[in-house]
Amino acid sequence: MDGPLTDGLPSIIIAANELKSPLTLIRQLSLTLEGVDSLVDDQKRMLHQISLTSERALRLASDLTRSVRLTDALFTLEPINPQQLCEDIVQELTPLFTAHGRGFRLMPRKHSLLLVANRDLLRRIIMNFSDNALNYVDRDTAVEIQIKAINAGKTIRLGVRDFGPVLSCGVFENIQNNLPKATTTVHDRPQSSGLGIYIASQFADAMNGRIGVTRHRDGSTFYVDLQASQQLTLI
Amino acid sequence: MKTTSILIIEDDSWLAEQFVRVLSKFGYKTVVTSSAATAINAVDDNHIDVIILDILLKGSTAFSLLHELQSYEDTGVIPVVLCTNLVQELTIENLRPYGVKQILDKSKMVPDDLATAVQDVLP
Repeated sequence: MDGPLTDGLPSIIIAANELKSPLTLIRQLSLTLEGVDSLVDDQKRMLHQISLTSERALRLASDLTRSVRLTDALFTLEPINPQQLCEDIVQELTPLFTAHGRGFRLMPRKHSLLLVANRDLLRRIIMNFSDNALNYVDRDTAVEIQIKAINAGKTIRLGVRDFGPVLSCGVFENIQNNLPKATTTVHDRPQSSGLGIYIASQFADAMNGRIGVTRHRDGSTFYVDLQASQQLTLI
Repeated sequence: MKTTSILIIEDDSWLAEQFVRVLSKFGYKTVVTSSAATAINAVDDNHIDVIILDILLKGSTAFSLLHELQSYEDTGVIPVVLCTNLVQELTIENLRPYGVKQILDKSKMVPDDLATAVQDVLP
């Protein structure tokens, strides 16, 4: 990538964009091969895994470029219906979860909520939490997205609940202390660098929100708190 | 009936090969070039109906090519489909004056989207 567009860009953006090219090629080739009729089931399954894995890597590369540009990016905060946004995410990520033998669902709500956020950044946060949960959740269980109002309705919490091994107190404290500022291994999982969570915390900061984690007896919930929109109360 | 000719300007030769594979399946004739500099010659030498253009190319970028295409009456009317990983940085409204009819996100498109885009932008 030698064009003038790279002039003056942080090296991480250049690196992330460079990374996208081979990942794009891998994805295009595997998607094409997936459509070949003569393949046996196991070959199709492997190709599907290659496609889905390259998509996950592409999302991460794209998030990296976005996170570096937060300071100079012109992004707008607007009232958003989180239910609709999360439904779209569930639809997009269900093939990935299914391929891993996991379920993925949005917990239904009776009443609509509105929050103030940037649609793209919020989507990326929930995608990152979901990716994180996918690595951790037990096979044949489901990851759940939950939406609720807290703080007397002034704050909307979007949480991604996984059902996996219990977090040890030490690991939980470590995550709590480091969530907003550092990339630390999450859940003692060797496959997680915590990069996705770190990026999510940056995105939340940019929207005047914050991320956190709640420990349960049978898993954990990574959440983002954002300001509720006053629009509904004005109606 | 004349076969529709597509010029693919893509500096990743394997990705260009993949695009040829997809478009050939749909009966399109393809011409491949890897740089903006050679693209103008390719447009002159072939009766190009649609251009598939990557943004980041070796040497000058796609934008200089778009400017040059617009500076001639015959090439300025050729519809351009941008196929790029830099979708976040672009808006179709800003690029329409340069003949860009569609923007495809390389990281999200499925292979046949390329043929669909060509079909959509053909006059």
